Amino acid sequence: MTEEDATVKEPLDLIKLSLDERIYVKLRGDRELRGRLHAYDQHLNMILGEVEETITTIEIDDETYEEIIKTNKRAVPFLFVRGDGVILVSPPLRQ
Amino acid sequence: MLFYSYFKTLVGKQVTVELKNDLAITGTLHSVDQYLNIKLNNVHVVNEQKYPHMMSVRNCFIRGSVVRYVQLPPGSVDVELLHDATRREARG
Amino acid sequence: MADAGDVSQSARTPADFLKSIKGKPVVVKLNSGVDYRGILACLDGYMNIAMESTEEYVNGQLKNKYGDAFIRGNNVLYISTVKN
Repeated sequence: MTEEDATVKEPLDLIKLSLDERIYVKLRGDRELRGRLHAYDQHLNMILGEVEETITTIEIDDETYEEIIKTNKRAVPFLFVRGDGVILVSPPLRQ
Repeated sequence: MLFYSYFKTLVGKQVTVELKNDLAITGTLHSVDQYLNIKLNNVHVVNEQKYPHMMSVRNCFIRGSVVRYVQLPPGSVDVELLHDATRREARG
Repeated sequence: MADAGDVSQSARTPADFLKSIKGKPVVVKLNSGVDYRGILACLDGYMNIAMESTEEYVNGQLKNKYGDAFIRGNNVLYISTVKN
């Protein structure tokens, strides 16, 4: 690793520093992914490993008309994610 | 080019392609092009009850832009190779 | 050609504005209406954005915090500076 590799000069450097780390990805359609980043390109196409996908849906209760927020989770070993659905990427959940 | 090259190594393997309209199709990867358009053979739809009109479809061409995810066969993912290729691509 | 070199007292073009706000607290609004408040680390020609100490606001309510965040440029409606 040279010094250049460790600085954030352009936004994609943030992704570069997250290679082989667990990241959080927010996607269109109320979907979120958590997984290890194995590959990406300039479009934000990605391959993630040990992926957990969370899909959030809002249902309206028939009687009370209350909004019920439901989350569905599933695990996928390896997932290719097309970049055009990506909204936000955040490096390791360190808190 | 990274993902085009990678998908070419998956030709002949079974993958599940999930589309932006929530349709998920499993099949044998026949071919891929630079736009990540995908041709699948021996396809079946994951949720056939919901999409009965797809029952008779044996093979299909999927436009790359309608793909949300591709579930990859774990045995065909060499993570070290992907890390190296990604670093090379990021530099170029 | 206007004197684009002197941007010290006031930013003139959109590019000058973007150059001048690096390291400053900003609000980034996405097409979806979601707001991100944080420190602008850097951005590129696609309006891809790297932010630090980012807070996510949905309908004005704080929903999430991220140490670092990359926002894909195509989702960006605007970038605005904020006081303090």
